[in-house]
Amino acid sequence: LTMLVLSPFAFSLTEEGQALMAMKSSFNNIADVLLDWDDVHNDDFCSWRGVFCDNVTLTLTVVSLNLSCLNLGGEISPAIGDLRNLQSIDLQGNKLTGQIPDEIGNCGELVHLDLSDNQLYGDIPFSVSKLKLLEFLNLKNNQLTGPIPSTLSQIPNLKTIDLARNKFIGEIPRLLYWNEVLQYLGLRGNMLTGILSPDICQLTGLWYFDVRGNNLTGTIPESIGNCTSFEIFDISYNQITGEIPYNIGFLQVATLSLQGNRLTGKIPEVIGLMQALAILDLSENLLVGPIPPILGNLSFTGKLYLHGNMLTGSIPPELGNMSKLSYLQLNDNQLVGEIPNEFGKLEHLFELNLANNRLNGSIPHNISSCTSLNQFNVHGNQLSGSIPLSFRNLESLTYLNLSANNFKGIIPVELGRIINLDTLDLSSNNFSGHVPASVGSLEHLLTLNLSRNHLDGPLSAEFGNLRSIQIIDMSFNNLSGSIPPEIGQLQNLASLILNNNDLHGKIPEQLTNCFSLSSMNFSYNNFTGVVPSSKNFTRFPADSFFGNPLLCGNWVGSICRPYLPK
Amino acid sequence: DMTQQKKLNGPGSAPPSCRSKCGWCNPCHPVHVPVQPGLIIRLEYYPEAWRCKCGNKLFLP
Repeated sequence: LTMLVLSPFAFSLTEEGQALMAMKSSFNNIADVLLDWDDVHNDDFCSWRGVFCDNVTLTLTVVSLNLSCLNLGGEISPAIGDLRNLQSIDLQGNKLTGQIPDEIGNCGELVHLDLSDNQLYGDIPFSVSKLKLLEFLNLKNNQLTGPIPSTLSQIPNLKTIDLARNKFIGEIPRLLYWNEVLQYLGLRGNMLTGILSPDICQLTGLWYFDVRGNNLTGTIPESIGNCTSFEIFDISYNQITGEIPYNIGFLQVATLSLQGNRLTGKIPEVIGLMQALAILDLSENLLVGPIPPILGNLSFTGKLYLHGNMLTGSIPPELGNMSKLSYLQLNDNQLVGEIPNEFGKLEHLFELNLANNRLNGSIPHNISSCTSLNQFNVHGNQLSGSIPLSFRNLESLTYLNLSANNFKGIIPVELGRIINLDTLDLSSNNFSGHVPASVGSLEHLLTLNLSRNHLDGPLSAEFGNLRSIQIIDMSFNNLSGSIPPEIGQLQNLASLILNNNDLHGKIPEQLTNCFSLSSMNFSYNNFTGVVPSSKNFTRFPADSFFGNPLLCGNWVGSICRPYLPK
Repeated sequence: DMTQQKKLNGPGSAPPSCRSKCGWCNPCHPVHVPVQPGLIIRLEYYPEAWRCKCGNKLFLP
């Protein structure tokens, strides 16, 4: 054995084979996937799964190890450091635990290192900075901790650093910013602190800058306009304060995400000149003042999010010129005035959310020209008028929320033609008249909330066709007639809220077939007869039935339990 | 120097022109493409960048 080990040729060959066998022994869940890693039956390790060899200095040697997405558990053996000619390691998408071994720093030829999507913990070993040829470092989605080593800046050709979704702490090392080669810096979803250094614009080759979801503080540096190579600038969900600097207008970014910070002051007009913006997200900050009409110049922008600020004034009609817009969220501000007619020009608009403002006037008729509209939410405004008949053209709508406004008039029969609706919420308005039977044809409907209006007439038997429905809330109306037994067909119905109406007759026995029904309120109506007592009805408390003087049930004070206990 | 030029021209940006960015392929248009950051999380949109598109092929602007 000693002779063999001393033989230089055999030694170089078997050392790599032994290193691979040592790696195998520290993995687990290997039964199926590393079957051919077997030095007894096949010592040609270059033929093993995921092992790639090449002729380096006249010797066949392992240059690449690709064991991605094989469900491997266990740990990465320190023996990896004996594979000294490795240029690429890809172990992403396994269940590896333990620490990244220090010995990885001995793989001096390494160009590509991908350990992402595992359960590795501990620090990034300092030895990584010995990998002078490394260009790609991906450690995202692990449990790694400790600070980001500033010695990463000593790797001269490092183009990609992706450390997203770990538990890194401390500051982003300032030295890292003095790297003209770095193209991609992904740090989202860690616990990094400190400020956004003015040095970030020294990253003259960087196109992707993402620190979303950390604990960074301080202001956006005035020098930000020098970061002209950035295509994506995402500092969202940190604790950044101060105003958005004018110099931001010099950025050439496609994505500007500042949401979820504590930015104050007004939206700078200069943003309206940033026509390269595909996504502008300033939402969930403390911004005040009006929406600058010049934002309407952003004719290539697909997503505009300004929600969750303290914006005032009216919605500029110029936003109707944003012809590529698909998402517009202005909800949760203090906007006044009317919904601009010009929104009718937004033929690609997919989601329009104007909820929780102080808008008045009626919904413009030509909103029906937005034929791509999927979600329309104006909850919590002071809008009035009736539902435009032209709404029936919005055949792509899945979410329609007009609740908590001053709408009046009837619920148009044509609503039943918006066949993809999953939510119809018209609650807390002044709608009157019958609920049209056509609502029963909305077979994808999950939530129907018509509560707190002045609706009258009976509940249509067609409601029994709402086969997807989970929530029906018709409470606080003037509905009369009896509950159609067809409601008993609704197998997904979880909540049936009919309190404070004028309903009468018996509670149909068929409702006991509503397998999913877990919440109901029939109180304050004129129901008679006996409350069913089997199956799901055993779950419902007495107060689901209060206020029906002629209804007989198993509660204290019911007409069929005349003897109050002492 | 592009940075200098931008400064002289004042603030603002424009989508790439994509002129002769798709090799021999025609026509060549600027498009938004999503860039996947980390894990896919529901309700979390991808950042988007500009690329030049011809047929099914994407090119750097």
